[in-house]
Amino acid sequence: MALLRTIDLTVRYGGLAANADVNLEVNEGSLVGLIGPNGAGKTTFIDAITGFTSVSSGRVEFDGHDLAALSPDRRAHLGLSRTFQSLELFDDLTVRENLLVAAERPKWYSFALDLLRTGRTSKENIAQVDAALAVLGIEGISERLPSDLSHGQRKLVGVARALAARPKLLLLDEPAAGLDTAESQLLGGHLRGFVEGGTSVFLIDHDMGLVLNVCDYIYVLDFGEIIAHGTSAEIRKDPAVIAAYLGQSAGEAQARAGASLAANRDSAVPSTDALNGDSNG
Amino acid sequence: MNNVIFFLLLGLGIGSLYSMLGAGLVIVYRGSGVINFAQGAFAMYGVFTFDEAHRNGYIRLPWVDILPTSWLNIPVTIKLSDKGIPTLPAFAVAVAMAVLIGLAVHFFVFRPLRTAPPLGKVIGSLGVMLYLQGVAQLNFGGSGRQPGNILPDGVYKNFLGLGKAFPKGAVWAVVVALIIGVALHALFHLTRFGLATRAAAGNEKGAVLLGYSPQLLAALNWVIASVLATVAAIVVGPITGSLTPVGLSALVVASLGAALIGRLKSVMVAVWGGLALGAVQSLLGFWSSKDWFPTFLRSGVREVVPLVAICLVLFIRGKKLPIRGTVEERRLPLAPYPVRIKQHLIAWSIIVVSASFLFEGSGKRTVFALALTTSLVAAIIMLSMVVITGYVGQISLAQMSLAGAAAFIMARMMANGSTTTSNPFPVSGPGLPWPIAALIGVLAAIVVGVIVGLPAVRIRGVQLAVVTVAFAISLQSLYFENASLTGLSAGAPANVRSAHFFGIDLKSIGDKGLSDRPEFTIFVLVVLILCALLVANLRRNGTGRRFLAVRANERAAAAAGINVSRTKLLAFAISAGIAGIGGVVLGFKQNDVSSANFVYQASLAYLAFAYLGGITSINGAIVGGLLAPAGVIAVSSNYFFHGTNIDRYTTVFGGIGLIVTAVANPTGIAPSLQPLFQHFGRWLRKARSAEWLAAVRRLGPTAAIGAALGAGIWPLRVDSYSWFWMPLLGAVLAVFIRSSVMQSRAKRARPTARPVLAAAGQAPSAVEVK
Repeated sequence: MALLRTIDLTVRYGGLAANADVNLEVNEGSLVGLIGPNGAGKTTFIDAITGFTSVSSGRVEFDGHDLAALSPDRRAHLGLSRTFQSLELFDDLTVRENLLVAAERPKWYSFALDLLRTGRTSKENIAQVDAALAVLGIEGISERLPSDLSHGQRKLVGVARALAARPKLLLLDEPAAGLDTAESQLLGGHLRGFVEGGTSVFLIDHDMGLVLNVCDYIYVLDFGEIIAHGTSAEIRKDPAVIAAYLGQSAGEAQARAGASLAANRDSAVPSTDALNGDSNG
Repeated sequence: MNNVIFFLLLGLGIGSLYSMLGAGLVIVYRGSGVINFAQGAFAMYGVFTFDEAHRNGYIRLPWVDILPTSWLNIPVTIKLSDKGIPTLPAFAVAVAMAVLIGLAVHFFVFRPLRTAPPLGKVIGSLGVMLYLQGVAQLNFGGSGRQPGNILPDGVYKNFLGLGKAFPKGAVWAVVVALIIGVALHALFHLTRFGLATRAAAGNEKGAVLLGYSPQLLAALNWVIASVLATVAAIVVGPITGSLTPVGLSALVVASLGAALIGRLKSVMVAVWGGLALGAVQSLLGFWSSKDWFPTFLRSGVREVVPLVAICLVLFIRGKKLPIRGTVEERRLPLAPYPVRIKQHLIAWSIIVVSASFLFEGSGKRTVFALALTTSLVAAIIMLSMVVITGYVGQISLAQMSLAGAAAFIMARMMANGSTTTSNPFPVSGPGLPWPIAALIGVLAAIVVGVIVGLPAVRIRGVQLAVVTVAFAISLQSLYFENASLTGLSAGAPANVRSAHFFGIDLKSIGDKGLSDRPEFTIFVLVVLILCALLVANLRRNGTGRRFLAVRANERAAAAAGINVSRTKLLAFAISAGIAGIGGVVLGFKQNDVSSANFVYQASLAYLAFAYLGGITSINGAIVGGLLAPAGVIAVSSNYFFHGTNIDRYTTVFGGIGLIVTAVANPTGIAPSLQPLFQHFGRWLRKARSAEWLAAVRRLGPTAAIGAALGAGIWPLRVDSYSWFWMPLLGAVLAVFIRSSVMQSRAKRARPTARPVLAAAGQAPSAVEVK
């Protein structure tokens, strides 16, 4: 059954529809990818699902709940964990503390206990954190501060923090951005591991290599709309995707404009039409 | 109806002062991202310079000569003439002084602070305010002055047919304010300079790339703001009556209101806002004298209502206030994980307990006993600032008011209509025993704290600081100073009966009338230790981690499942509880509470000293307590430097200390002392005679030079001094400076070391991503 389902999800910023009527499903135990060029509305989509931007129309359902009225932290409690494209770690806390923050689910009276007890963490939370650290292979840096880590390590800590909450669905916003090819491949391996460990994953990236290689099912977003979806084999062949990705129409228009400019320079007749790129229609 | 219009118009006079100062605040905020709490102080120094030159013919430069002697002096005063100079030259002198102050403030304070966190900038401007206030009190005297009016005197009879006489000065003040507002608006919208400033406010990097220097622009904006404040005070100040350094500095609160109405963005709106604020205040003042006006609102309603209105506007507008695009902002210093709590606890307890017995009834040295309890109480209140500001990053300038709420309510709950010899005014009340009264007081402080914290849900950074000041002033004038609520007559303090615990009397004053009872000091110490343990536990548990997560990144915290609003309110509640405990203990210490203990300026001063000590750590609060006004360090410097009148310079030194800390050492004193003590402790444990000998050989010469300097220099500067203390102080200072220099050199040699963290012992085993 579908763990996450969006129905005609639309997000408008003023007159601009960053997401228009997006229908998407993520099934339990699957790794679903969302790709699209820069500015296609991918991060807006994750923000809309996790409650960081308001939805203009349409619905988001997660695990049988309608998310419309829920705040981001309530959604996290339901089992929806996300990472951020820009590294948004808690810089004042060690890596382990970063993960503990996500793993702990305080009761309303927790603060009173915290005031009276010396540092104590429940065994369950420690196990959760250790498991997340182990899955990503970063146990060795658990006592260090984020500011001491390399970019790649911080990315992994971000993923580990989301994972430490034992989410039902992990939403990853461009986890491979800024990683080199080897790191990216390693990350891909980790993602398959999460799915086998029982966590569904929704991956956003514009790194085609990563997404096409690891995802079970892929959606392609362009100008806020889903232009294609299918398995990676189907996506590879889809002409709309190729157009969006290689920018066929835009590329051709540029090529034409360049040609006309060159032609005009040869004939030494400056033409403003040529600069607009539509003189040769 | 005529009366309403008349009083509205009358208020425009003072409103024009708010609007010009408010315009200056907007200009500074846009130029360098600082909310300038010193704007009123600028105005004050300018108008006093004008008056001094006009009346007496002197220029008093904005610094002081500490320890003046007969032959070696720093020039402070320039004599222009024997009798005073005419208005126009005096005006020019004041404007030149304003330019000087504006430039100095930019280059010495806010240029170095340009990448500091918002709190650092707030502290910097508080430092400037304290400094200018202190210098003005020394150079011009603290008493009120009535500078000559440069606007036309006299009144318009039957003004606009309203049937009342209207001062001409007020009309001209409004005209001046509007002209200045329009001129500034033109400057910022029609000239290249204004365009560049607006560009730099929008995107600092972009402005640099276009060839503008944001720092030059900021300097010019500081000069404009400073000159504006001076002109405003000279032109409009006289119509407000007598001027004092403290009173003029306090003008900044209403001006902040005007600036916030302009959303810290529009000079013109700030000008209109200031005029409107003045008008509304004047009308409320008129109405509050009417019969139908609720009695309990009479005092303070003038000050409070406009501020509350502004807070509401800010709250409703939420996140829409401009956040300036600065170069990468430094965050608050790290909040260290408390380690070796037991050792700290034992060390501090031994010192405090032995000191409390040592100074009991010890003649002249008895002052230290009182200073000790003052410091301990201050440390409790500063712990509350560690929680709210150090851990959660919310700047609250209302902590003393929360302490006051607890103290006042406790006093009322204890009151039973009886009187004491020192306080003959009876106050009715339920007469509850002290533990219950104290508990009710602390609970009340928590409730008030949550209310103060409510705006923090939607308002951040410096704007929140301004809102908390508004709350502090509201509490002060609506409750502490409001006789109809407190039941106190004519400024009398509320009586507090002393506590007792299983037969031990915990009163603070001994049989001889001195505040030196060790029992009471130990009682305060126990309370402080309990509060410190609470805060330490907080930091070591999940709640503290969530606090720091919210401080670091609210979005990421929400994504990790933290309810950010609730966490902030919880922090405000805990912090208010601790502040309330501090207020209750303060009440026991003084045997009474009065509004003078809990004015909003006290919160500013306490926050400043907490920052000096180190706002993010428990030790920082304790060091801050030692530094607090009338605390151990202030009293001992007065004691040892007796005869130099060093207490006259407390405000000036406080201001300089704040500026230097904000600029050079934002983590505060405690965290930088810690490694030094650690090193010394380790050395002491393994030191045998050979080590001692080596240390004497190594440090001996330094100490000897310091002692010689101490013995030699002081007699030149001071009339009366101690042959024992001065050389000792010199020696200790010399050794301290030497070890600090050595340490910083050692630190530079191994830059990756991270001594403060608990994880310091951990082997740095970096696991690279394969």
